Amino acid sequence: MSDQIIQVAFVGNPNCGKTTLFNALTGSNLKVANWPGVTVEKKEGLTDYKGQKMNLVDTPGIYSLTSYSLEEKVTRNCVMEDNIDVIVNVVDASSLERNLYLTMQLLELGKPVILAMNMMDIVKERGMEIDTHRLPEMLGDIPVVPVSARKRTGLPVLLHAVKHHYQEPVEKKVVRYSDELEEKIAAIEERLRQKEGAQQFTRFTAVKLLENDEVTKEKHPIEISDLMDKNYEKEIINQKYDYIEEVVEETLFHKGQKEEKTDRVDQILTHSFWGVPVFFGIMALVFFFTFTIGDFLKGYFEVALDWLIGATATGMEAIHAANWLTSLVVDGIISGVGGILTFLPNIFILFVALGILEDSGYMARVAYVMDGIMGKVGLSGKAFLPMVLGFGCTVPAVMAARTLESDTDRKKTIFLTPFMSCSARLPIYVLFSQIFFPNSAMLVAYSLYVIGLFMAIVIAVIIGHVTEKSHNHNLLIELPEYKLPNFRTIRMYVWDKVKDYLSKAGTTIFIASIVIWFILNFNTSGMVDNVSHSFGAVLGHWMEPILAPLGLGTWQIGVALISGLSAKEVVVSSFSVLFGVNNVNSVAGMGALSAGLAQYGFGPLNAYALMVFCLLYTPCVATIATIKKETNSWKFTGIMIVFQLLLAYAASLLVYQVGSLLL
Amino acid sequence: MTLLETKTGNIYQVQIIRQEEKVLRRLEALGILEGTKVEVLNRKKTGATIIKVRGTRWALGEDIARGIEVEGYGHE
Repeated sequence: MSDQIIQVAFVGNPNCGKTTLFNALTGSNLKVANWPGVTVEKKEGLTDYKGQKMNLVDTPGIYSLTSYSLEEKVTRNCVMEDNIDVIVNVVDASSLERNLYLTMQLLELGKPVILAMNMMDIVKERGMEIDTHRLPEMLGDIPVVPVSARKRTGLPVLLHAVKHHYQEPVEKKVVRYSDELEEKIAAIEERLRQKEGAQQFTRFTAVKLLENDEVTKEKHPIEISDLMDKNYEKEIINQKYDYIEEVVEETLFHKGQKEEKTDRVDQILTHSFWGVPVFFGIMALVFFFTFTIGDFLKGYFEVALDWLIGATATGMEAIHAANWLTSLVVDGIISGVGGILTFLPNIFILFVALGILEDSGYMARVAYVMDGIMGKVGLSGKAFLPMVLGFGCTVPAVMAARTLESDTDRKKTIFLTPFMSCSARLPIYVLFSQIFFPNSAMLVAYSLYVIGLFMAIVIAVIIGHVTEKSHNHNLLIELPEYKLPNFRTIRMYVWDKVKDYLSKAGTTIFIASIVIWFILNFNTSGMVDNVSHSFGAVLGHWMEPILAPLGLGTWQIGVALISGLSAKEVVVSSFSVLFGVNNVNSVAGMGALSAGLAQYGFGPLNAYALMVFCLLYTPCVATIATIKKETNSWKFTGIMIVFQLLLAYAASLLVYQVGSLLL
Repeated sequence: MTLLETKTGNIYQVQIIRQEEKVLRRLEALGILEGTKVEVLNRKKTGATIIKVRGTRWALGEDIARGIEVEGYGHE
């Protein structure tokens, strides 16, 4: 028996802790946060309980077994079509009433269900009590296991229940509808059996047919019009909720004693007037910390990097390494990759701040707060969530657009997300604003974030006019309780991002640095003495006339911008390699880069035009691939690439030409 | 009256929901349907409204709030 792997699906409402539980059981590090819709894909992981192997499947959260949005379809298909042996229904015990609705539907399926009561600690904190003996009795005697995914308690008990109950069918008639309904359900069940033979989920299918559910009607086209003298959907839902009320009445005590905390915080954060300024204040603070604390920590990194450069150069000399090899390692890899690593503190702080925002429960409020503004450009406030995530990285942000209901809204949001300055663009802003605007570096960097936001709004307005859908006020999102950010969650989140950054430095940036070094030091006849004869110079010179009107007509810049398509940080690493600067983020490094650029008459205005270009131009390959995957359209992806390139060109042109006139 | 005309802090009962089919079904799945008790917590000038239903807070956009007809039920 233990050879067989039990297939376990984790199903539950959004934000009830499925992924936290899944991570705790499988040792995975999937992202969790405190807003509905973090998980948009099905994920699997193996675990083992006393020799019994289990394959756990984490699913996107759903409120009911309907399938209106993409994630809902994923979960419904997983539960109904995949080879699932047992459903672990994770419920947020602190809002039992809403969570039990899905439970009632799952029970109707007839597959083995185990109820994992998560967040029991919050129930206790709020002074509530749940009768965990009476509850299973009212749910057809399914196993009910209190767990705390965060504190990792109750986990073995849950696995034990899975092992022993995964073959136990459940009582499907937990909710007994009125006699009229039950008769109709029985009649439909009979017809289903006659027409389609014995099958799984007969009761569930019959109820869904009675509810007039489109997907079910398509799948089971049986004649029931004689039974459908009216729409029974409301009655069915109401009777389910009536039963749930009964359950809650009998099992939950001291309800609602300590809920005011969230309401009090909400009075400020979702205030009808102050909500928006508070949000922008919070974001400004996030970037303030990113720049200041990040810069403070940066010093230590630079010292370490300087030491490494010195030691490597001496070491390679001592072993009499070939000149080209020393050059490759010191001028190529260390300048490129090492330079990027010194921005790690900024990235770190940015993600700590974003992690705290996401885990506190504030994110969902942002959707509400920004709903008015977003509504004016034809999007719901929910579309703002992917955009906020875009300040971290565009790839997950584009994926998060799945939580939007309509396809047009999704595409529109995906189109706008790259205008939010991602963390990869941060090093470009930090470096160039510090070199060329030493007295107002932070302001200059801020201005780029604002330009990005502004561009997104303008473009959204234009799209709204073109598609004649210029307003949208269909926001519908759950606002979770606030909680103190969890240290483990934040640590995992930040470490994940830092790891991404490091692995990017070790792969994309590493390779890009070598390629740049190569094209700078070689041409068709081998290694060159003079850079101006290299492949790179030839390529760059070809681009000079195109970029000259933007004040970027220096061949190195052309090369850096092209290489930046691999990842935006590569723009910075390429500059280091191109200008032969070691430790570009240090005072000496900045001086050297500034001097190198000054030869070409590159001043603050050119630097600003460059930053604007980097903000707006074609996103990195990883983003492009994600956009293609999410929209499933090369046309859409292609239009985005070309559009952003043209927009970047136009905006930088404007900045440089107008700036030249004024200055 | 519609949910837009309600006062924050009061409790209401849903009479009828006028929405396109898709939104209607969505609301129903969340347990917001005829007869449901709704506490109004907050509203912005734009009409977006925060309500509490069955112990859960929801933020609703203006159009959704306008489509929900309610009747007074009492105070908190």
